[in-house]
Amino acid sequence: MNIADLSASVESARELRDYCSIAGTATSRLGRVPGVSSLDLLVEAIRNAVDDAGLKASDIDGVICRGPDESYSHHQMVAERLGINASFSTTLTNGGASQILAIAIATMAIRFGLAKTIVCGFGRDTWSRTHATEEARVRNETRPASQRPREFGPEYGYFGATAAHALGATRHMHLYGTTRNDFGAIATSFREHALRNPDAQIKKPLSMEDYYAGRMIVAPFGMFDCSLRSDAAGAVIVTRSDRARDMRRPPVLIKGFGTHNNTRGWFNDDNMVVTAARQSGEAAYRMAGLGPSDVDTAQIYDCFTYMVLTQLEDYGFCKKGEGGAFVSSGALRLGGALPCNTSGGQLSEAHAEGMLQIVEGVRQMRHLYPAERQVKNAEIALISGHGGNQVCHSTLILGKA
Amino acid sequence: MSEVKQKPVPRPAPESAPYWAAARERRLSLPKCEDCEGNWFPPSRTCPHCLSARVTFADVSGRGKVYSFVTFHRVYHPGFEGDVPYVVALIELEEGPRLLSNVIGVAPEDVRCEMPVEVVFEDVGEATIPKFRPRAA
Repeated sequence: MNIADLSASVESARELRDYCSIAGTATSRLGRVPGVSSLDLLVEAIRNAVDDAGLKASDIDGVICRGPDESYSHHQMVAERLGINASFSTTLTNGGASQILAIAIATMAIRFGLAKTIVCGFGRDTWSRTHATEEARVRNETRPASQRPREFGPEYGYFGATAAHALGATRHMHLYGTTRNDFGAIATSFREHALRNPDAQIKKPLSMEDYYAGRMIVAPFGMFDCSLRSDAAGAVIVTRSDRARDMRRPPVLIKGFGTHNNTRGWFNDDNMVVTAARQSGEAAYRMAGLGPSDVDTAQIYDCFTYMVLTQLEDYGFCKKGEGGAFVSSGALRLGGALPCNTSGGQLSEAHAEGMLQIVEGVRQMRHLYPAERQVKNAEIALISGHGGNQVCHSTLILGKA
Repeated sequence: MSEVKQKPVPRPAPESAPYWAAARERRLSLPKCEDCEGNWFPPSRTCPHCLSARVTFADVSGRGKVYSFVTFHRVYHPGFEGDVPYVVALIELEEGPRLLSNVIGVAPEDVRCEMPVEVVFEDVGEATIPKFRPRAA
């Protein structure tokens, strides 16, 4: 980008800084919720979020949600169940990067008058689907059959997201001397947070001994490096900041967002050790006028332990290659230098493709938590979303109003 | 049950048919651009370097190194029940492109990033699948 283009983009991004706020947020029931579809889980979360904001469904005039992979025009079904017509309504397909992207699009749509109050959310019934039959449990596949690779994978016994991310972990270990001990520090830190969260799917403590005792799935990943299979949904209500001030809860400012997609592919360039968090983070920092040292808590997309480590490096919380030492220092724990995934994350709270990270970021910025869950004096939260075959990335920076 | 336990065979997209036909003849052949001479993987009909549609296939050396690898312990497909633990690696060919394969002829615990490897061809039912084994550097 040349200087003139960059300054123009900085100026337009600044115009959006603090323009919108999160006025309401909530989750559905989390964990194992048999007999409830992903759509109904999402509607449950939206209903709770609308109530949290002190609004009625008829106050919502926009819907942006990532649909489950097997469903077409999912946003239409959501709005239908909410009983509303929406002036702005669409479905996103950027995997785990979709949820922050939804908030970014909502902010832009509101700024340019396409809608006033937009709900963004995502729900999945992955625990129920992967436990429906023995075959589903063994295959542990969340994608519908039509989307699974037909060549250059299955013939080599290469299946699933675990292996894809583990390839990145091996390469990082080779280049920088990162160890499973570092991954274990992430898993145990987040589990400790989940134990403080009554809604978390997993209630059992996790020691380093437990971490190493976990069965290997695809080395270097064992079972505790892998996120949960969950029935879970979350939602947020986005509206103009001056409107949000009159609602039931303290509004949380949308200070910055950014996206980047390493669409050349996870296997190409150095994408599996330097993720698109680098550029998506830079864009979000630029819009917010902030840097890594301003961030008080990070809610990082933790599909696998290693992905937390590399994204923390890519966001500039430590140098590339020093993530292992950083996470092993205890920095990620509540009370540490950068409390991270303070509700337990996808490794221990529940997995809703980044949606619950957003909910937790909002809640930390409201300061309504009991002391043992609250990041003290936190004013800025950074949230990441990552997905879409490991290439899509989004970053959100929230601020206490 | 014996049918269920068979390994999956590649079901090629039309644009990758020449790759698999070459493998059947024990050649590793990758798409190559007739305009910019760039190569890439997996096969597609437009050159991702210059967008030329003048795409052909050209044989490559079959030599490369392990860029990264993982070891499967979990059985995701019954066809691999007898194979665990087995290694799936991302191979970086001398010519540049990277492709997924198995590293065979070496214990999983002895596989390393940057390990030099060479292609070998394995028949699985109707298909012939390129795999890699260690070679002297």
